[in-house]
Parts: sequence; C-alpha cells; structure tokens
Amino acid sequence: MKRRPATTSNDKLQLDMTPMIDCTFQLIIFFMLQLKIIQPEGDFNINMPPPGAAAPQVGAIIPDIKVTLKSNPDGSLQSLMLGQRNLGNSPKVFSQLNDEILQIIGKPGDPASQDTEVEIDIDYKLHFKHVVATVSACSGKLDKKGRLVRYIEKIKFTPPKKPL
Amino acid sequence: MARRRNVNPPSSIELDMTPMIDIVFQLITFFMFTISFEEIQADERVKLPLDVLAKPPEIKQKHTVVMNIGFLRNVKGERLDPEPLLFNFGAGQKIRPLEAKKYMEQEARLYRLRKVELGDVTIKLRADQEVASGIVQEVIKQCQDAGFSKFAISAVADQ
Repeated sequence: MKRRPATTSNDKLQLDMTPMIDCTFQLIIFFMLQLKIIQPEGDFNINMPPPGAAAPQVGAIIPDIKVTLKSNPDGSLQSLMLGQRNLGNSPKVFSQLNDEILQIIGKPGDPASQDTEVEIDIDYKLHFKHVVATVSACSGKLDKKGRLVRYIEKIKFTPPKKPL
Repeated sequence: MARRRNVNPPSSIELDMTPMIDIVFQLITFFMFTISFEEIQADERVKLPLDVLAKPPEIKQKHTVVMNIGFLRNVKGERLDPEPLLFNFGAGQKIRPLEAKKYMEQEARLYRLRKVELGDVTIKLRADQEVASGIVQEVIKQCQDAGFSKFAISAVADQ
C-alpha cells in the first residue's frame, strides 16, 4: 500500500484559481463584445415650426439675418452670402461669417439679440457639412476656456428648392 | 571540490498568476466603466460632419426620434449607391428619405396616443456630411407635415 506523504505546517495552501480565471475571462469577453466606441456627438437646435402654425407678425416676415449658400454642381460650396454681401468660399469663410454675426449682434447674450433670427437659404445639392458649418458659425464660438458663447439661438432653413 | 547540483526536475512548475489576474481585473474595470446599455439609435454608416461646437448635451431630450440619413458604402468608404437611405427605420426595409412621411405620421400618431405633445418631441437628424442639403430639408418638411416642429442636427465633436 502507498503511503500518503506526511503533511507539515510548512506546506503552502494551494488555491485552485482555474474557476476564477474562467469567470473573469468570460466577463472580459462579455464586456468587450458590448463595447461600442462612439465619438462624442453634439446637436444644433433648429427652429422649424410647421408652415401656418403661427400667424406671422407684422414686421416679422423678413428674417433679421439671411445667409445664402450657393452650391457647385458637385455639391461643394460656391459662395456664402450674408444678406447681399458675398463672403466667398475660402476655407475661412465660416470664421468670417462668425465674426460678422458677432458684429451684428454686438454683445453675446444681450437680451436685444435673443430674438434675432437667422434664415439659411440653401441650394439643394450643397453638401450638408457646409450647412452644419454655417449653423455653427451663427450659433456662437468657444471661449478660451472651451465654453460656448452663444450668439444666435433662432436658426431656421428655407423650404427645399428642388432643381428643375 | 564543487558539489554536483541536484539535477532532478521539480515535481510541478508553479506559475505566478498574480500579474495576469491584476491585468484581467484592470481590463474588467475598464470595460465596466465604458459600457453603456443605453439603446443607441445612431448608425455608424453615417459619416457626420465635424464641428468644434458639437458637444454632447448636458440635459438629455425626453422624446427623440433619430433619423439616420446616409449612404451605403464599401469597406473603403466609397458610395455603393449615389442616392441616400434612411437607416434603422421602418423595420429594416430600404427606405429613401423622401418616403419618410408615412413613417413620421405613424410616429406622430403613436406620440398622440401616449398623450405626448408633438412640440415636445425632437427630431434628431443624423445626416451624412455628403448628403445633399435639399434632401435634409425635404425630410424636415415631411416631419413638419406630420406635425413635428422641433429639430436638431447632429455633428461630431472636432477636437
């Protein structure tokens, strides 16, 4: 008969780690499969009440600021107009628009500028990224601390104009 | 004279598992903090425009309808279809943005049945940066015809 080895107090207490490692790996796999890497997104609010929802007030038919975006046939920006003034289509046109809006409203957050409305007239084929850049330029600017300085809240689009 | 070393191999090789368990727990902790069980209606096929002002909202909108307008693209990102589609809409059918009206009317009926004012519902437009703006305007018009009036356009934070 085999003799059992004598146990002494110096022997290490051995824990079986296998079930715990199994469980932790299961957990890791579960969390890894659930993980969705999403870039942070933000929204710009657009004020578009249904046509005829509210009776137009006298003097409110013409928007305060009108921005017109003209498109090339390939969807790129041909020109950006603030009122009747052509600001061009250079890469800096949106920061120029941002400066012009600031000049129009004077001081950001001023109660007088809170009712100011911007209407954006868009060519049908224009790529949407130019519209977002225009909305952003009208909405405000980030200060040095990265906080939003709001210029204009009321932004709306013209109805779609389908090309003939 | 040098003593000969005992050449008998040990009866069992003991691996130190502590560093591995440490790393595994670090990974679990990381995944636990980053996980979100929130149902996201965003579609990764839509390449949103970038903008510096696009920051995640501090207060979440209570009632939101997400409309993903984008293109079918291949692995390289090239468009497979020149016309955009509405993704995650209408139970997986291929829906063109200009056909959205009946679905939005259905959505409006559902909100009315739930006694929610349509003015409190935000239509979140996640439109691809290369979609023709006129199509987004058409979608807005269809939503307006269905009774919705609050819209938000999405962009990705440009850092």
